Amino acid sequence: YQPPELTEPAPYFDTLLLRELIDGPMFKNNDYLFSLMKQSTLFCPRNRGGKVFVGPDYNQSMEEQREMTMKRIEYLRDVGVFDGWFGKEGFMGDLWRFSVAESVSVFDHSLGIKLGVHFFLWGGAIRFMGTKRHHDKWYKPTETYEVKGCFAMTELGHGSNVRGIETVTRYDASTQEFVILTPCESAQKYWIGGAANHATHTIVFSQLEINGVNQGVHAFVAQIRDENGNICPNVRIADCGHKIGLNGVDNGRIWFDNLRIPRENLLNSVADVSPDGQYLTAIKDPDQRFAAFLAPLTSGRVTIAASAMNTTKIGLATAIRYSLSRRAFSMVPNEPEVLLLDYPSHQRRLLPLLAKTYALSFASNYLKMIYVKRTPESTKTVHVVSSALKAVLTWHCMRTLQECREACGGQGIKTENHVGHLKSEYDVQLTFEGDNNVLMQQISKALLAEFLTAKKRNKPIKGLGLEHLNKPAPVIPSQLTSSTLRTTQFQTDIFCLRERDLLHRFVTEVSQHQAAQGVKSKEHIFSVTYQIAEDLGRAFSDRLILQTYLDVEATVPAGPLKDILGLMRAMYTTIVMEEDASFLRYGHLSTDNAAVVRKEVPKLCSELRPHALALVSSLGIPDAFLAPIAFNWVEANATFFGVIIWVMVALLFYRESCKRVGASIELDTSSFEGQEGPESLATLLVTRSSCLWLLTSLANELELLSSLTPARLRAERARIACNPTS
Amino acid sequence: MAPTNQVLVKESSNVRTIVLNRPKQLNALSGEMVSRLLELFLAYEEDPNVELIIMKGEGRAFCAGGDVAAVVNDINKGNWKLGADFFSKEFSLNYLMATYTKPQVSLLRGIVMGGGAGASIHGRFQVATDNSVFAMPETALGLFPDVGASYYLSRTPGFFGEYVGLTGARLDGAEMLACGLATHFVPLEKLPLLEDALCKANTGDPNIVNNMINEYSSTPKLKEKSQYFRLKTIERCFSRRTVEDIISALEKEADKNMDDWIAWTIESLKKASPTSLKISLRSIREGRLQGVGQCLIREYRMVCTVMQGKFSRDFFEGCRALLLDKDKNPKWEPSKLEFVSDSMVDRYFAALEDKDWEDLKLPARSNLPSFAISKL
Repeated sequence: YQPPELTEPAPYFDTLLLRELIDGPMFKNNDYLFSLMKQSTLFCPRNRGGKVFVGPDYNQSMEEQREMTMKRIEYLRDVGVFDGWFGKEGFMGDLWRFSVAESVSVFDHSLGIKLGVHFFLWGGAIRFMGTKRHHDKWYKPTETYEVKGCFAMTELGHGSNVRGIETVTRYDASTQEFVILTPCESAQKYWIGGAANHATHTIVFSQLEINGVNQGVHAFVAQIRDENGNICPNVRIADCGHKIGLNGVDNGRIWFDNLRIPRENLLNSVADVSPDGQYLTAIKDPDQRFAAFLAPLTSGRVTIAASAMNTTKIGLATAIRYSLSRRAFSMVPNEPEVLLLDYPSHQRRLLPLLAKTYALSFASNYLKMIYVKRTPESTKTVHVVSSALKAVLTWHCMRTLQECREACGGQGIKTENHVGHLKSEYDVQLTFEGDNNVLMQQISKALLAEFLTAKKRNKPIKGLGLEHLNKPAPVIPSQLTSSTLRTTQFQTDIFCLRERDLLHRFVTEVSQHQAAQGVKSKEHIFSVTYQIAEDLGRAFSDRLILQTYLDVEATVPAGPLKDILGLMRAMYTTIVMEEDASFLRYGHLSTDNAAVVRKEVPKLCSELRPHALALVSSLGIPDAFLAPIAFNWVEANATFFGVIIWVMVALLFYRESCKRVGASIELDTSSFEGQEGPESLATLLVTRSSCLWLLTSLANELELLSSLTPARLRAERARIACNPTS
Repeated sequence: MAPTNQVLVKESSNVRTIVLNRPKQLNALSGEMVSRLLELFLAYEEDPNVELIIMKGEGRAFCAGGDVAAVVNDINKGNWKLGADFFSKEFSLNYLMATYTKPQVSLLRGIVMGGGAGASIHGRFQVATDNSVFAMPETALGLFPDVGASYYLSRTPGFFGEYVGLTGARLDGAEMLACGLATHFVPLEKLPLLEDALCKANTGDPNIVNNMINEYSSTPKLKEKSQYFRLKTIERCFSRRTVEDIISALEKEADKNMDDWIAWTIESLKKASPTSLKISLRSIREGRLQGVGQCLIREYRMVCTVMQGKFSRDFFEGCRALLLDKDKNPKWEPSKLEFVSDSMVDRYFAALEDKDWEDLKLPARSNLPSFAISKL
């Protein structure tokens, strides 16, 4: 094994500067959280090849994983991470909250989701949908986890279509209480994170019926467990069971059997019910009311998009570092084998994804900024951009993980190496907070509405970056060359042209359907025009991503970093053109030009190749959160076997000595929770002072200890001494 | 350079025993010694006749640190770059030891502080003993734990590194072993036997060396009142985001359960230079995610900023109060933690604005163990 740091050229640009650019203003806070996790045994630190790695123990049962998630949260609470969660104001406060959520997700998606449900969904609902009386009552206990919140929106029968949920709440003026009812099985609340084991309170989404009139979906606070963890009367809870990933989150199902809650528990930011049962609201239109109500919860999509990027970075940093140290096949007999990343085909698999990841990360930062600086006027933009980026970024994440898994070969299969396992941990992101396909169609609908409104008012179109539609259509050179492909002008032109053309086609197709089918509903027309709608959704997203990339690039002074950003932009735009058939399908690229584009890809790959190491170094994921195969995988695999034998022998001795002194062989589990596999046994064993001496001397005798690296040895020694003779 | 008698070398076939020989100054590292050590280590790496290096100190200490009094003297003569030069050599030596291809066994009799820790902890084996005393006392001196301490302190369990680095707490041999700063513990009376055995074995095979040290090793008991039993409290307090938060967390602990240890801990934080505390905390935190090389480069920026004395003269004040005048009453400036802003701290981590200054150039290495690198 040779570390790539020795064999690769020194970075051409300042990797720290690029990291600051891609991680945004909160990267120091991220590092603080990484450091907190790395230093606690609850995060299962394990030494592989002289480096310490953290990561959940997926060998644990579902119930154990859930308990560990909760313990990790309690640790973070105890060291003060959540202090002042609701008190931090302004957009820096928002950025700080995002930073906490994203950083813990780098360790484990379950941890991020568990925390996200409590603080962003439960806490966010209290904050944004509630008013002062709710803030005063719930902020404090939420910060300290005296109250553990969950968020009951989705039902068995209704997910993305929130307005169709069936749970119903009526008001009883005689007692000034609301009565929540699950009227049928399809109305049971489903996938409620936290509900199965831990949550004490929930936000309940329900139809509100006042005097027999349905006022639409509203949110209520209900207690579902008492302080001892017993389920409250008139509430039933069941587990959602084992999942393909995310088993550290206790998803549950909830039924309400005429549960009574005080009138004050209605989250009344946009509508209220008076004590005598009058429905009061300032927003008369139920559509607008619902939109205003849910708008702040876009934060969920912001964190999902950001987490998707972090996960992608873990996959790429691991796979690319591995490909810079693993060799396969010689070109010439008896010559050294060739590094994986020196194969053009391997470059083609990984390097375009790397450039894309940079582009999408900048877009994710942009989304974060427009969210934290949102105004009532920007609600629509935030909604459309968050829908687009949530879908595009999570799809990119899954695709990249699959490619990285394959690029690591068999090593990608080991959960210890993360890349493969992360796929099942993150798969759900394509679905929650809005199914990706549904989101993409929503974008096209929003674009259509913008276009038609502007046309009706006979005004230029404004917002969502669509201003280019007011200008004449850009002209694409009939003969593309390598150098044209790399100009900002061409890249912008072709992305704008595609969006503009698809929007016009979509408008035409919708109006043709309208003319042909007459009175049929708009929704019906959208359901049959999905093909072009999805192409348009893509075109909008790609153009938006390119725009945010150019905006970031503009802030960087001329120099090596700017050069590298330009090269990656060329890679990003070229690969989009090569991979998305719509450029050819709609004639934005001639077949000749498409051939030029395709030829450019390997060229760009070979130009990016020397920067591969530096580019993954800037990705901002600390070593401890990557995998052993990203570093000295030879040594990482060499020591492990020795440890197993050592522990097995020691275990035998431990049992023998227990028998001899008549002690119980029962294992004290408190000391090895959070440890993984053989090491947990090692920890356990060294806590037993009676066999400590035997253990060490025996291991010495068998010369097993000697196979340990110094760092490993240190860690073992430290553990032994941590648990001195009582 | 003419060989100095401040560093002695005993040759025994393929083993070189390096003796730090300045017993009156508790073997504090002078510029002369650092240069000589650097020279020796570079030569031994190339020399096929050398397989194993043993480091020890003459007299009752291993090494009490860098000879900062001399450095301050140099600087006071008008050129802080003499000081920078000293640290550049010392840090290069630390890096060399951390990435050395041949095993270095350090026998840690008596005091192992500051630069002395740097000259031993980075090596492959550290043998603590009954009278070992380890500390990184820099914050009391207006400096910060350097010589790669942000690397090795940050790798101790939990937040013990922050505790040791900020308070300057002293560790005994058992505690060093417990937190991983020593790899072995050999009783004082057996140390000479071990040294002889290593010389006789005449090998640099780390497995054999390790086994030999193990033969003389014993597992020491931590003292009943050892601070190592306070790891939980240390975790609760020293994990906090800022020095101010750490102190208030400690004060809350003290309200619940006051004892000598907590009182001492708070006291030592209050006595230390506020600037030092803040830059030390950040240094250890950054070091946790970095490789040893990056740590040394960062620490070099920091130490040069301190030597330059443009933003704070606490180091000179600390040396005056503790080493020269010995009134033990330094007047820190800024005098309180709240006066040390983030932007003031930032300056210590930035490249210096001085056209003749440049970042530490680490010696090129053919051997780069994975713990020495970090991708961030």
